[in-house]
Amino acid sequence: MSDLAALVVQQSLNGVYLGCLYVMVALGLTLIYGVLNQINFAHADFVTVGAFTAFFAATRFATKVLGLPDAAGYLLSIIAATGMGAVLGLAINAAVFAPLRERGDELRPLIATIGVSVLLENAQLALFGPIPYQFDSPFARETIRIGRVFFSAQSLLVVLISAASIGALYAFLRFTFLGKALRAVAQDRETAGLMGINQGLLIGLTIVIASALAGMAGALLGPVLVLSPFAGASVIVKAFAIVIIGGFGNMQGTIIAGILVGIIEAFTVQYLGSGLIDLVVFVLLLAMLVVRPTGLIAERKEENV
Amino acid sequence: MKFASKLALGCAIAVASFVSVAQDRVVRIGVAMPISGPGSYFGVMDKEGIELALEQLKSGVNGYKLQVQYEDSACSPLQATNAVKRMLDQFKPHIVIGEECSDASLAIAPILNDAKVVQLNVGSVTMKLTESGYKYTFRIFPNAEQQSAPLVKVARGVLKAQTAVILHEKTNAGNDNAEGFKKPFEAQGGKVLADIDFGRDVNDFTAIATRIASLGKVDVLPTFALEGQQVRLAQALAQAKIVKGGGGNAVQIGSIWLPYGFDQKAGEAAQGYVRIVQFDPSEKRKVVQDFVKAFKAKYGQDKVPTHINAHAYDAILLIAEAVRRGAHDSESIRDAFSKFKDVEVTTGRITFDAKGQTSDLSVVHFVQTQPDLSWKALSWQ
Amino acid sequence: MIAALPWLLSSGYWRGILVICAMNVLLALALNLVMGYTGQLNLGQSAFYAIGAYVSTLLVRSLHWNFWVASLAAVVAAGFLGLALAAFAARLRGHYLAIASLGFAVITYQVLVNWESVTEGVRGLYGIAPPVRGTVALFYLVAGIALVVYALMDNLVRSPVGDTLRAIREDEVSAASLGVNGAIWKAFAFGVGAAIAGLAGCFYPGFVGTLVPDAFNIVESFTMLAMVIVGGMGTMIGPVIGAVVLTFLPELLRGFGELRLMIYGVALTLVVLFLPGGIASCFKRRA
Repeated sequence: MSDLAALVVQQSLNGVYLGCLYVMVALGLTLIYGVLNQINFAHADFVTVGAFTAFFAATRFATKVLGLPDAAGYLLSIIAATGMGAVLGLAINAAVFAPLRERGDELRPLIATIGVSVLLENAQLALFGPIPYQFDSPFARETIRIGRVFFSAQSLLVVLISAASIGALYAFLRFTFLGKALRAVAQDRETAGLMGINQGLLIGLTIVIASALAGMAGALLGPVLVLSPFAGASVIVKAFAIVIIGGFGNMQGTIIAGILVGIIEAFTVQYLGSGLIDLVVFVLLLAMLVVRPTGLIAERKEENV
Repeated sequence: MKFASKLALGCAIAVASFVSVAQDRVVRIGVAMPISGPGSYFGVMDKEGIELALEQLKSGVNGYKLQVQYEDSACSPLQATNAVKRMLDQFKPHIVIGEECSDASLAIAPILNDAKVVQLNVGSVTMKLTESGYKYTFRIFPNAEQQSAPLVKVARGVLKAQTAVILHEKTNAGNDNAEGFKKPFEAQGGKVLADIDFGRDVNDFTAIATRIASLGKVDVLPTFALEGQQVRLAQALAQAKIVKGGGGNAVQIGSIWLPYGFDQKAGEAAQGYVRIVQFDPSEKRKVVQDFVKAFKAKYGQDKVPTHINAHAYDAILLIAEAVRRGAHDSESIRDAFSKFKDVEVTTGRITFDAKGQTSDLSVVHFVQTQPDLSWKALSWQ
Repeated sequence: MIAALPWLLSSGYWRGILVICAMNVLLALALNLVMGYTGQLNLGQSAFYAIGAYVSTLLVRSLHWNFWVASLAAVVAAGFLGLALAAFAARLRGHYLAIASLGFAVITYQVLVNWESVTEGVRGLYGIAPPVRGTVALFYLVAGIALVVYALMDNLVRSPVGDTLRAIREDEVSAASLGVNGAIWKAFAFGVGAAIAGLAGCFYPGFVGTLVPDAFNIVESFTMLAMVIVGGMGTMIGPVIGAVVLTFLPELLRGFGELRLMIYGVALTLVVLFLPGGIASCFKRRA
C-alpha cells in the first residue's frame, strides 16, 4: 500500500469514527424535526448530560459500588446514559412541547428549548463545576491493527453501536405498527390524527427515542470530548450543520451528512489544521443553504401560505 | 467618679485603637489562579503550596500578618481581568500572585501596573511579560527563551535530532515556546517538518497523530500544552506508533508544563519523554527537604509535591522575606524585590534583573521518563 | 433619574455593572428591532457585537485612528455584515434562518480565533483604554447613547416604516401581495440591528481592558435573546426591562454561587411558557 493510500484510508477511518458520533447526535435532532417540525436546542445539552451520567456511572458506580471490571462498567454506563436521555426527553416533552403544541406557533417552542438549554448548561455548571473531567474508556487503550492502518477498540465499539442503533431504528420504523404510525404522523399530522392515531403519544415517543439517542451519543462521545458542561456547545453547531446538509427530517440524509462531516474534519486536520474545522463545516453549511436548502437528498416540503 | 469613668473610657478607647492599629499591620496578598477550567490543577496545587507557607508563617513576619484572598482567573484573559478588577476594588491587595497562564498574566499586567500593585508571577513563560516594560511585574519562572534554548541543545546535542514536529496549544505560552524552539533549532541546521497548533477544545488527537505519521521520519516532538491534552496526545502518538512508548522512534520533549503525575496518567505512552523540571523533590538542599517533609506532613505521606506547589510556596517565602526586610506595602515590596540577591527558595536562588525576571537556572535540569514511569535525571548540557 | 444612578451605587464594581447594563440595553434594542418588530429569528447578533469591538479596537491600535472615527467605521462594518446576513435571510424562514444566523455567528467567531495575525486570536488584545476615563463617565456615555438610540427607534416604529416591518412580521406573503418588498425591508432591519450591536461592541473592549474572542461566543446571542423575550418582544420598553433585569439579577444572586446563572434559562423558559409577552405585557394589561 502506498504511503498516500495508507494515509487516505487511515484518515477516512478516523473520519468515519467521528462521523458516527456526530450521526448519533444529529439523528435525534432530525427525528424530532421530522415529526414535530421543531428544533430542540437543548438536544446538545442532553448529550452532555448523557456524557456526565456515563462518566459517573462508569467511574463511581459500576467499578466502585458494583465492582465490575472497567469494560463492563463502560458498557453499563452507555445504558445508563441512554436511560437518562429518555428521561430528559419525557421531561422536555411534558414541560415544553406538549403544552405549546396546540398553539401552532413556530418560534415559541424553539425559544423555550433555548431556555431549557441555558438552564441545563448552568445546572450542570453548578453541579459539576467548570473543571473538565477526564473520561477514559477502557476500550480506547486497545489498538487494533490491520496492515498499515489502525483504530482503537473504542472506535470499533462506537461504529458497531451506532450501526446497531440505526439498524434497530430503521426496523422499528419500517416493520412495527408503532413505527409506521410514527411515519404517518411525520408525513401529515392532521390526516394521521383523523385516522385515529394518537398524535400526542407518538410525538412524545419520538422525543423520548431521540433524546435517548442523544444520551447514548453522550456516553460514546465522552472519551472524545473535553467533558465539561460546555461540551454540548461544541457539538451542537456541527449537529445542526449535519441536519441541514442532510435535509431536515431526513434520516438517510443525516447519516450521510454526518459521516461526511466526520471525514471532512479528519482531512481538514490533515491538510489545514484543527482550528479550521468549524470554519470549513460552517462555510459548507452556508453554501448548502444557498445552493440546496432542502439538503443533500431533497425532500419535497411545501410551505403553507 | 465621673472623672474616673471618663479616664477609664479614654484608656479603653486608647487601648482599643492601639489594638486595631496593631491589627492593621497586615500585608494583603491577592492570588489570581485558575480554580476552574482546563488549568484548574494549577489553582489546586498553588493553593496547597500557599496554604503550607501561610501555616508556617502564621505568627506573622516582622509584626505583620499575611492575609491572602483567592480569586478564580480560570487561565483565561477575560476572567483574569475581571478577577483582578474585583480584587483591586474590594480587597485592595499590596501584591498579587498571578497568573499561571501566559495569556491571563499578560492581561492583568497593565491593570496591576496602572494600579501600582506588585505582580509576582510564578508560572508564565511568555517573553512579553517582562519585555513590555512593566515596572511592577516580577517573575520567578524561566521565560520561553530560557527554557527553549536548552531544549534545542539537548535535541541536537544529546538526542541527535534532525527533524522535529512542534505541537502546541494556541496561546501565548504555546506560541512563544514553539517560536523559542523553532528559531534556534533551524539556525543549528535542524528541520521543522510541521508546526501543529490546536485549541483547548481538542480532545481527540488521532487525526493529528495520523498527520504526523504521514510526515516521514520525525526525531523529536516538542510539545507545549496543558496536562489533560498532553495525556491524550501522548496516547494518540503511541497508538500511531510514532513515539518510543508506542514502538516508534520519536521522542517527545517539553519545557516546564507538566507536573509530576503526568507520566502515571499517560501510561506507557510517556516513556522516553524528556523534559525540563525546575523542582526535584529528591534534591539535597535543606530548604527543599524541609519543604517536602512539611508538605507530606500536611497533605499525606504518599503525596509528592510538584513544581507548581513549590513555586507557590516560594512566592509566599519571597513576600515574607521582603516584609522581613521592612516592606509592608506595594512600593516597599517592589523596592525590596528589586534588591534581592540570591534569596534561596525551593526552586533556586532568586535575583531579579532590571526587567523583573529571575535568571537563576541552577535548579533547572532535564529528566527522562523511564519504562517504569520514574524520572532519570540527565545533565543540564 | 438615570443620571443619579452611578452616585447611588458607590462601589466601582457596581458602577461597572451599570455600564454593562447600558451595553445590554443597546444589544437588546438591536435584536428587538429584527425579532420583535420584523419577526426574524436572528441568532447571529453576537457576530455584530464582536465586529464592533474588534474593528474599532484594531483601527485604533494599528492605524492610530481616533476612537470616534474608528467606532463609526466599526458600526458601518457591522451594518454591512448585517446586510450580508439579510441576503441569506431573503430566502429562508423560521428554523433555517435561525440556524443560518447561528452559523454566521460561529463563522465570525472562528475567523476571530484563527486570523491570528490580525486579531491575536485567543491570546487576546489587552491594555485597551476606554474612550473616556472613569467608570462613571463611561456609564454616562453609553447610557446617553442608549437613550438616543431608544428615542430614534421609538420614532421609527411609530412611523410607517414600523407598520411595514410589523406587516412583514405578521405575514410576509400577504404583505408582498400589498406591494411590500420584504427583502429590502428585512435587509434594513438586519442592517440597523447589526449596526446598533456593533455600536455597543465599540465600548466593550475599553471597559474591560482585554479583548478575546470568547467574550463573543454564540452563548451571547442566547443571552440577548433571553433579554428581549423576558422583557417583552415587540415593545419598546420590553428590551430595556429585560436587559436591566437580566443584568442585575445574576449579580444580586451571587451568593448562590453558580446556580445564579441558571436564572437566564429559568427566566426564558418560564416566560415563553407562561408569559409570552414578557414582563412588559404585565404593564400593558393594567392599562
